[in-house]
Amino acid sequence: MKKRLTIMGIFVLILGLSVIFVTGCAKKGVVKEEAVAVEERPVAIQPSEAELQKEREAALREKALEEREASRFKDINFEFDKFNLKPEARETLRRHADWLLEHTGFDVIIEGHCDERGTSEYNLALGERRAASAMKYVVNLGVDKKRLTTISYGEELPLDAGHNEESWARNRRAHFVVTSQK
Amino acid sequence: MRKIKLYTIALLGIILLILGWNQTASGKVYIDIDSPAFQKFPIAIPDFKNLSGDEDNKNLSVWFSDALAKNLGLTGFFHVISKKAFLEDPDRAGITAESIRFSDWINIGTETLVKGGFQYDGKELSAEFRLFDVIHGKIIVGKKYWGKFEDREEMVVKFASEVLLALTGERGVFGTKIVFVLKKGKTSEIYTINFDGSELARVTYYGSIILSPHWSPDGKSISFTSYKRGNPDFYIMDRAKRTARKISSFGGLNLSAPWSPDGSKILLTLSKDGNEEIYVLDPASKKLERLTRNPSIDVSPTWSPDGRKLAFVSNRSGSPQIYLMDADGNNVRRLTYEGNYNTSPSWSPRGNRIAYEGVTNGCFQIFSIDKEGSNILQITFDGSNESSSWSPDGRYLVFSSKKDGKFRICIINSNGSNMRVLHEGVHIHSCPSWSPRLNLY
Repeated sequence: MKKRLTIMGIFVLILGLSVIFVTGCAKKGVVKEEAVAVEERPVAIQPSEAELQKEREAALREKALEEREASRFKDINFEFDKFNLKPEARETLRRHADWLLEHTGFDVIIEGHCDERGTSEYNLALGERRAASAMKYVVNLGVDKKRLTTISYGEELPLDAGHNEESWARNRRAHFVVTSQK
Repeated sequence: MRKIKLYTIALLGIILLILGWNQTASGKVYIDIDSPAFQKFPIAIPDFKNLSGDEDNKNLSVWFSDALAKNLGLTGFFHVISKKAFLEDPDRAGITAESIRFSDWINIGTETLVKGGFQYDGKELSAEFRLFDVIHGKIIVGKKYWGKFEDREEMVVKFASEVLLALTGERGVFGTKIVFVLKKGKTSEIYTINFDGSELARVTYYGSIILSPHWSPDGKSISFTSYKRGNPDFYIMDRAKRTARKISSFGGLNLSAPWSPDGSKILLTLSKDGNEEIYVLDPASKKLERLTRNPSIDVSPTWSPDGRKLAFVSNRSGSPQIYLMDADGNNVRRLTYEGNYNTSPSWSPRGNRIAYEGVTNGCFQIFSIDKEGSNILQITFDGSNESSSWSPDGRYLVFSSKKDGKFRICIINSNGSNMRVLHEGVHIHSCPSWSPRLNLY
């Protein structure tokens, strides 16, 4: 304890002396002072450049986050061989529509998917219908139709590779993919 | 494709005439495959004779008889009698009618017999084949082929085709291929395989989703739907050039469907007008004609063999069912009423029946129904089976099958007998389509 106090004392002493020394020197030449001022400029600019960079990065990050959040749009699910919207699907779509109305800089691709049962061709048509049902609902809630496109993948891209009721239920879906407008 | 020089002549034409060939020519059908009481037809194929007279090429003697037995066995129409049952002394018997003791063959229960011989000098190979009716002790058909050693398989397949023509009244489906889709992970590619399960060959390398391949009636092109540019667009591939042309890329589905029997038109399902409708396309003029006008799903059209009618799937009744209509879109009528999920129609080249898939006990199975909507026949029973396609002779169906985590392409006689696995694996096998007769050799 005692030792640390002694060191601090010495430090304060040096600091005091150095202040006297600097002010003492300053008196000696104006030219040098100016030189220091000139040198200071780039030093002052550098942190602001880094700050800008940081800002840019932060903005990108925020946008990425926003996009990721957007891309996490919850899927809506359907019954087997059906493309009508269930009440919970309508609820989900209302939230999607709200987000889209707030964030007008984004477009959406609505993918329609089916479970593995049935013909791949019929399922392509069914997937098309599921995507179209979701799109129609969102458009009715005020989202500009130009911002929305649909594509059907039928049974070709299952979310869940399982072959049971639970997997099938997850795979019968309309999936929202958010993209920035170009 | 291998292009080889092979000379075929009808051997012993004069002898055939003398021995009463006219009986077959006048339409005697030994095997009535379409009979409900059909049972496999017995045939005996002893080892071929080395006609050079030397002791060389013993294995070629066995090879010829085994290869012919294998090919005839693939048809599902024959019971090839085991060589162990044979009574004939091979050293004393010849390959012509006068040198065969037919009682030796009647006594082992066969009705037909193929005798053959070959000559091979290390360069040229010739082989002759004779099919005998053992009951009447006479030749039914005989052929001799000349070629190279590598042509021996072709000689066997050509004669197998002659046997089928002579006994059933129609050439078989030797020299046909099946195109299908193999899906690994998120991408799928088109493959072809021969009728006998040989020569699996990859056709596309697009690294995206591909669906619904169909042969042109001349076998030179394969049409399909691919997502390779993002949207499900319709393409036609020239098999020889291995290049594909984009034919239709409207917004939404551009779903491939069969070519008309004369090859001049192609059916398509398009959703460009906001809902899935069936169109017919003239690929030469690119003229497109809409055939269905219904707010429901209309998909998977296919032609009748005379090109005058179409079968397709619609859910206009609330569930997917098979419908028929005239080729111009008129006279729509529902064909299937049993079950609440009937899809993938395929019209038999014989014209009388339509194969499709339906659900029974929660599983998809292949059925066929006559064009009047009656006489439903369940063809598959095991696992889950989809997407059937007829052989060019209308005797068989190829379909995709799923059971115990394994995926297969299978062939079955149209009466549900003699199922055979053509290809299997852990990846999804789908959308099989049978080629026309391709003249592979």
